Amino acid sequence: MKSIIIFIFSALLSSAALAQSDIKTDSFKVDGNCNMCKKRIEEAAYVKGVKRAEWNEATHMLTVIYRSSKTDEKTISQSVAKAGHSSDFTTAAEKDYNNLPDCCHYKTNTCSH
Amino acid sequence: MNKYMLLPATAVLAFVYTSTCAQDSLKNHKLDEVIIRQKQKATTISSISTLKTENIGTRELLKAACCNLSESFETTPSVDIAFTDAVTGYKQIQMLGLAGAYTSITRENIPDTRGLVAITGLTFTPGTWIESMQLSKGTGSVVNGYESVAGQINVEWKKPFDDKQEKLLLNLYQSSQGRTEGNAVYTKKLNSKLSTNLFLHGRSQWLKLDENNDGFLDQPLDKQFIGANRWFWFGPKNWEVQGGVKAVYVNNIGGQWNYEKGTEQIAGNPWGFQLNMQRYEGWAKIGKILPRKATSVGLQLSAVHHQQDAVYGSRNYDALQNSFYANLIYQTYVGNTNHTLKAGASTLIDHYNESFAAQKYARIETVPGVFAEYAYNGKNWNLIGGLRADYHSIFGAFVTPRLHLRYAPFPRTVIRASVGRAQRTANIFAENMGYMASNRAFIIQTTETGKAYGLNPEVAWNMGINLTQKFQLDYRDGSFGVDYYYTHFNNQIVVDVEDPGSVRFYNLSGLSFANSLQGQFDYELLHNLDLRLAYRWYDVRTTYSGELKEKPLVAAHRAFANLAYETRNKWRFDVTVQWVGTKRVPSMWGKNGTTIMPESNSPDFVMLNAQLSKSWKENLELYLGGENLTNYMMHHPVMGAQNPYGKTFDASMTWGPIMGVNVYAGMRWKLR
Repeated sequence: MKSIIIFIFSALLSSAALAQSDIKTDSFKVDGNCNMCKKRIEEAAYVKGVKRAEWNEATHMLTVIYRSSKTDEKTISQSVAKAGHSSDFTTAAEKDYNNLPDCCHYKTNTCSH
Repeated sequence: MNKYMLLPATAVLAFVYTSTCAQDSLKNHKLDEVIIRQKQKATTISSISTLKTENIGTRELLKAACCNLSESFETTPSVDIAFTDAVTGYKQIQMLGLAGAYTSITRENIPDTRGLVAITGLTFTPGTWIESMQLSKGTGSVVNGYESVAGQINVEWKKPFDDKQEKLLLNLYQSSQGRTEGNAVYTKKLNSKLSTNLFLHGRSQWLKLDENNDGFLDQPLDKQFIGANRWFWFGPKNWEVQGGVKAVYVNNIGGQWNYEKGTEQIAGNPWGFQLNMQRYEGWAKIGKILPRKATSVGLQLSAVHHQQDAVYGSRNYDALQNSFYANLIYQTYVGNTNHTLKAGASTLIDHYNESFAAQKYARIETVPGVFAEYAYNGKNWNLIGGLRADYHSIFGAFVTPRLHLRYAPFPRTVIRASVGRAQRTANIFAENMGYMASNRAFIIQTTETGKAYGLNPEVAWNMGINLTQKFQLDYRDGSFGVDYYYTHFNNQIVVDVEDPGSVRFYNLSGLSFANSLQGQFDYELLHNLDLRLAYRWYDVRTTYSGELKEKPLVAAHRAFANLAYETRNKWRFDVTVQWVGTKRVPSMWGKNGTTIMPESNSPDFVMLNAQLSKSWKENLELYLGGENLTNYMMHHPVMGAQNPYGKTFDASMTWGPIMGVNVYAGMRWKLR
């Protein structure tokens, strides 16, 4: 058991060290309303190369940590727009926006959750 | 109000405060959910509350398509779960190495599964009804009473005023072992102030199964219906009222294959088991937020009527419980809101009327009490100190002090400690119903009459210390926790099964203690792939007739691993592997009843559960799962099965699974 944990730790640490070189952190604004939107935005932001994505419900800022050799802000924002959420970089298509549940229709609605 | 929400203490306070202030609870629940979703973790351990509380969210509950509360702990390392015997099909939980009766189980902070239903009551809350559970070890808050020794499990039902709540939730379940189950939760928001839930549950075990060919059904045939309705009203002037009713009807029939209801229980006829239960509950909470900030007053009321009759071969066990509970809580602050004070008074009335093997036992316990609890929330330090004084109509006055400390030396490191006293009256028959599935003589060793079965109350001190360390590794979150608890019994009702012919109950004379050490590691291995590893060690020993011995049927070692993976298109995979170490099995009768086999150790075993589910558009979810996939079974769970009326018959020494592989499938459908 102990050896399993040590193995996992060391495996993770070594892979983390290798990947450090081209890691970038960026923040940009993504339109959304609530906690339900949060989950969708973050999931959509996890394109290949993204290490971590966190959307702040209060400030509407999406913070992404990614490998710059594999992806960029534009690619991430396109994936987020495809899920219905517009950002500084990409505006969501009307069709994708309409697919959102009512409470996430950020252009017209605000919601409490 | 929001400002207070951010204060460290609030989570704990909310935990108790929920009871009094529904409006407040609404906000707090949302806060909880935010935490869950942010981390996308099924079980979260809060860093901010003074008590270490594992919040078991909906995601965790879905991991095992759990059918009721007792089964929902299959994926929680802190709780052990095992069959009580090889006849009744009931399982009981264990925390810190102590039986489920030592854990206080509350429904939205009102005592729920206690008294006669300490074991069976866990099946009265279907998993589909549950929104979340909060589990904490050690003695809890004095506001909730004096009974909990090992921990608290609070169950929050789905809330009708919650915007996210679907109008109708339907759940169907079918297992390969012949169990069919259906659940419905209907929610109606009549207006912004008034809302209601209707909960329905029906289940049936309709297939006779005897996988080990001993002539006994592995689990009884059963029918179970549960219904509940509750209302919330947010009135003007910060009044909040909620109330509900619940009814439970259970019918079990098992034992030997050819047993039918009413078969006379004499040698030569099939040995039978029957258990019928009817239970009615009503509860209400009335709360008002007062003009002074962070100040409120709340009243909790609850009444229970429970009736059961059981047949275990030639012995009958009939029992009745009527209980009433009232708890008045006033909450305010002293100086500034970092110093919170709660004070109040409670009354608990329990009326028991039991008859076992033609002997009658009746008692009424009336326990009025007062309590006060002070909480301090500093920057790195939190403290909750509570004291209550109660007067027990049979056992007299007693005080219950409790203390909880939290210290966060670094932002991601939390150290907590707790110490407290607990007292409870053991319901020796209901808590040891497993031994009724044997021909052991029930012997109460006492020279006194009156009291509870002529025995004293159980008094224990519990102390614990734990560490939670959160970390981020390669941009993904993880946590590591270790906790150690020690329970010392000043008095315990010893359940002595060291002699194969009897189960004896007596007041503790000598030492009785339980050590529990648990380590848990959680990490998101890959995006949306969560790993949980846990290991726990128990050392539970009691003095049996002058000899300090390991408690029987408790595994000293247990290791646990869970992997949960979720894909973007909503496939979910869950795998849980557990290794359960050996348990001490007391000496038993030899084959013909003339010799006694020496005590032994059960083999260790591995259990594997897995589940696959897929959901579409947040409306429909289908699941397929398997339990005990390694097909590990006890070969002879019923000793002396050929002669159930003879003295060697004993189905109570169950150390492992009674049933083999179980495959199940089901669906959840939500109408929004």
